[in-house]
Amino acid sequence: MKAFLAAAAAVLALAATPALAQDSTADITFTFETGQPSGQIMVALYDSQSAYDGGGRPVRVERVSVTATSSVVDFADLPAGDYAMRAFHDLNGDGEMSRNPFGMPTEPFAFSNNARGNMGPAGWDRAHFTVAGDTAQTINLAQ
Amino acid sequence: MIPSRRSFLMGAAVLSATVITPDLVRAAQAAAATPNWALATGDIEADIAPRAMRLVEGRPPVGLEGVLYRNGPAKFRRPGRSARHWFDGDGLVRRFSVSGDSVELAARFVDTRKRRQEERLGAMVMPGFGTPPDPRAEIGSPDDANAANTSVLMAGDRLWALWEGGSPVAMDPQTLETEGYVTLRSDLRSMPFLAHPRVEPNGRIWNLGMGGGQAIVWRLSADGTFEDASVIDLPRASYVHDFTATTRHLVIVLQPWVRERQTMPFADGFAWRPETGTQILVVDKDDLTRRRLFETEAFGFFHLGDAWTVGDDILFDLALHRDMDFAARGASEVVEGVPLDGEPAHLGLIRLKADGTTELTRLPVVAEFPRSDPERAGLSRRLSVHTTGENRETPFARAIGVTDWGSGQTRAFDFGADHVVDEMIYVAKPRAQTEADAWLVGPSLNLAERATELHVLDVARIEDGPVATWRADVALPAAFHGVWAG
Repeated sequence: MKAFLAAAAAVLALAATPALAQDSTADITFTFETGQPSGQIMVALYDSQSAYDGGGRPVRVERVSVTATSSVVDFADLPAGDYAMRAFHDLNGDGEMSRNPFGMPTEPFAFSNNARGNMGPAGWDRAHFTVAGDTAQTINLAQ
Repeated sequence: MIPSRRSFLMGAAVLSATVITPDLVRAAQAAAATPNWALATGDIEADIAPRAMRLVEGRPPVGLEGVLYRNGPAKFRRPGRSARHWFDGDGLVRRFSVSGDSVELAARFVDTRKRRQEERLGAMVMPGFGTPPDPRAEIGSPDDANAANTSVLMAGDRLWALWEGGSPVAMDPQTLETEGYVTLRSDLRSMPFLAHPRVEPNGRIWNLGMGGGQAIVWRLSADGTFEDASVIDLPRASYVHDFTATTRHLVIVLQPWVRERQTMPFADGFAWRPETGTQILVVDKDDLTRRRLFETEAFGFFHLGDAWTVGDDILFDLALHRDMDFAARGASEVVEGVPLDGEPAHLGLIRLKADGTTELTRLPVVAEFPRSDPERAGLSRRLSVHTTGENRETPFARAIGVTDWGSGQTRAFDFGADHVVDEMIYVAKPRAQTEADAWLVGPSLNLAERATELHVLDVARIEDGPVATWRADVALPAAFHGVWAG
């Protein structure tokens, strides 16, 4: 069993080598399409399922003012690997996801892959993507 | 004894594991039953283009001009999965346009996000009133599961398709093209809006949206613009499908079917607690903090009539169910084609007295879908219009009745066993002098002809049957509720 795990680890390490050899870092660019050119977009990027699904710390956060119907957020120099992103359009600029009196979000939110949850936020299983080089996604943040 | 019993149990386990799946059991029950009313919960595959209906009986009533809009579920089954409850099919809005001596029928599905997602997947995946969740569903908001299938409201010059757990969906009243989900105020996005708004004779619209032990009280102007909304606390988290109102009060009936668990499907979270009776909360329209709580015996209900006052007493009619077994179980069996075994609802009258006591009168009249003159909403009236003729096996009516609270008499017309009769709408005649100067307008599904019919009856002579009947070349399933736009 031990030998099997060691062999598997070696294979995984080898498999990862070419990507690392070509370029040790990559950029992830999100283009957010929004309904209203107002407020700001709050973006959190995660590099593990445990952090993303478990309320852990994001690897990067970004905030961008919305002045047009399309806004770009660039995360530079990230190591190759799996990532997932969540964002919301803070229309009133209070820094918080606004909710209606029964607790449902009233500001647009989205996840990487434009993934949608199932009566909750989209989980890592739907939202994660693999970064092996520069990566771009267009995310719909319109209501 | 023990070995043989054990082998029997093992044999049964093998059988159940390999042969008897729930789907097969349901299919077998459906095949055994094959009730002739299955058309009433059948599937419509596409929108119904406008087409003339053919006059098959009587003469077109002079002076009746307008449009009857009705909404109800009309798509339950897809290859990958089907809805499991009558309340969970896709809303099909029907438009019966009556002009001169001709009637035109058109119908379009509300183009909801639910329907788009389920079309793409080839499966009914949205959790609902009685349909369990499916892992494939994508739901980021209650409106993603909004079936828009329960009723309609004329909000100014727009037609709103209503559900009860999400936003109204606006449609073009001429073309029935879906325009989008209505957000009445940005901070109230996705708040629920019941399918039973109460409209005052002056056009002002009151409605509730339910959230467990709380309700949002909506107030809109006659043209559908937002006026006010507040959240009020309720003494219990009852299932509220409908409420009623006088000119001064909102009347919220809290039946002992109470939400005890946050789960899906929605109905599974409720428990029947008859020992706790029924509570009735009366709230002042002018000051929602002014409230009175009445108590009465346990009953289940979906639908109330418009309320009115006599002195300081508040009266309203309702369709009394023995319990909420139909919501919890019966309405699933209807979609599966299984005959029911349930007591139909009966007509009742509740009087909330100024001294704080409650009087409940039960009439020996089978009744559902109570309606009355919209110009008398909240005001004194004598007449209730309702379906009748439902029986233990089917939830569908075959007759339409008018009950006079002054005389206590019910007059009815029975369309016969071949008809599934929808709710009918009270339409006052031009220059009406009395409450009985009115028509009833509503459809039935003629099972023998496999066709939808539109009927007009005279309220004063309802027992004579339709003064005119038009027949379509399509058969649409039973619908829930509608409005007349004159």
